[in-house]
Amino acid sequence: MKKYDLLTPEGTRDLLFEECLARRDVEKRIKELFSHFGYSEVVTPGLEFFDAFNGSTRNFQTENLYKTFDSKGRIIVMRPDSTIPIARLVSTRLKDAILPLRLYYNQRIYENNALLKGRSDETVQAGIELIGGENSKRADYEVLCTAVEALAMFDKDNFRLELGHIGYFKELVTKLDADDNAREEIRILISTKNYPALVDLLDSFGDNEVTRALKQLPRLFGGAEVFEKAASIYTDEKINAILSELKEEYERLSSLGYEGKISVDLGIVSHTDYYTGIVFKGYLSEVGKYVLKGGRYDTLLGEYGFDNPAVGFGVNVDGITRHLEKIGDHYSLKTPDAVVYGEKGHVVEAIAYARNLARDGKTVENSLFDTLDETKVYAVSKGIKKVITVGEDVKEIDV
Amino acid sequence: MNKPLRIALTKGRLEKDTVGLFEKIGFDCTAVREKGRKLILPIDDGRIEVVLAKANDVITYVEHGVCDMGVVGKDTIMEMQGKFFELADLGFGRCKFALATKKGHRFYGGYGVKTIATKYPNITRNHFESKGMDVEIVKIEGSVELAPLLELSDGIVDIVETGTTLKENGLEVIEDICPVSARLIVNMVSMKLRQQEIEKLVELIDKNL
Repeated sequence: MKKYDLLTPEGTRDLLFEECLARRDVEKRIKELFSHFGYSEVVTPGLEFFDAFNGSTRNFQTENLYKTFDSKGRIIVMRPDSTIPIARLVSTRLKDAILPLRLYYNQRIYENNALLKGRSDETVQAGIELIGGENSKRADYEVLCTAVEALAMFDKDNFRLELGHIGYFKELVTKLDADDNAREEIRILISTKNYPALVDLLDSFGDNEVTRALKQLPRLFGGAEVFEKAASIYTDEKINAILSELKEEYERLSSLGYEGKISVDLGIVSHTDYYTGIVFKGYLSEVGKYVLKGGRYDTLLGEYGFDNPAVGFGVNVDGITRHLEKIGDHYSLKTPDAVVYGEKGHVVEAIAYARNLARDGKTVENSLFDTLDETKVYAVSKGIKKVITVGEDVKEIDV
Repeated sequence: MNKPLRIALTKGRLEKDTVGLFEKIGFDCTAVREKGRKLILPIDDGRIEVVLAKANDVITYVEHGVCDMGVVGKDTIMEMQGKFFELADLGFGRCKFALATKKGHRFYGGYGVKTIATKYPNITRNHFESKGMDVEIVKIEGSVELAPLLELSDGIVDIVETGTTLKENGLEVIEDICPVSARLIVNMVSMKLRQQEIEKLVELIDKNL
């Protein structure tokens, strides 16, 4: 039998040296942002029951989950998302906590992608969840501002935060005399902006205000002009309320110094169906996929018997790292300041001396060679400028 | 000046048709017409960069965002799937997917599980899945018409343009599956970050179709 003992599985990779520095630095900056806004970290298990991701509004594609069984034969999945585990956690262990709850996470998620497409099956995602709060508008603004900051602090010139509202699509599509399958089909065509097929499909529902509005939906994205366009296509009380809420959010976020960096897309109709209000996505210019995604989900916690509104987002740490690498932000490993060589009989003293230097903030390597000459050759080969010998006395030699 | 807008074209007929369309719009496409062996070619004073690739690769490049847009057949899109915006039906490269069998063969008769030979296993699987029918699919790389003639399969699912190849080999179409034509696809991030440029180009294309 062929042994796969020298490779990592498709969609995974080892990270070395500079790559680790880059990822850890991005993680550190995001975690600092979150904790400065009063969010506290939680960690959820990497393994969860399959049932958690297979509820009415929690429709994850079965074939994209990594699955296994526990000792009782129950289906276990490797966490494909952090929001749902946090909803479970909040509804159980934190149900008596003072609201609002501000939680953040920074952990890996897993997705079983098609082979040979160059996608990662394992990504690090950081994010926040803001749970509870009487005034959901204040909560929306807090989370939106944090999302903008999470992108702007990495590249203030080349990011974009895009706002939408799932209610716009849901309102329109319920007015359509269509079954669930047809609605799902329409949703997919809108989310992929497939104009030709969408027009064909909607034509079968006749020509009326609703079908005309749905046909335009994929084109309703861009800047402030979107609101005028949308208002001219379809209006009713609920839709107007949604549009004016979005418009206010768009203008107020832009006015924070982010003109041209905020945009609108009424055609964000997400696949993970737990969103109930605003939805948003974030982009960086050098990454071909969104790096941030979030929204309001007011009914998810209720499914766990803890009926509270919530809003949050997740940001793809690996995506940001890749963007930084492409725009030329390079991390380099620190070369040690010195190699410490212990003469015969002074090996332990040398390690102790190195430890003292390390305590003072220096970076030092302990020499494993038996002679000073070999140590010097080694130091030169690694670009280390100094060798310190520890014997009867301590000598510093520049090499 | 900004980075050029990169558009991947499927080599061959779709490439020629797209270049024809671009010339109608008024882009100077000499670089593509006299390309030699080059694969990345600037047109429209360097504002657009044409990348020539195989159909499947057009989708891969657009999906990853290394090309902003692409021109590729609906057949490839259906077979490969993928995440991108499918913005326009370009109208050329028209043909259809069809199920064909040997003349007179009763495909839908009997209880046995049918075998289908095809270059497009995903499309075939989806088609028969939607009919709730179990079939065995054999992937063939070259001339699929051989499979029923050699009695490897009961039928084939393939692209049919004129039907001449089928006729000459004693096969006939017994069912149309869906029409196929060239599509303009766009990377999801490019669509948002370069909206104006892309919409302008799409408008020009729409006008000249």
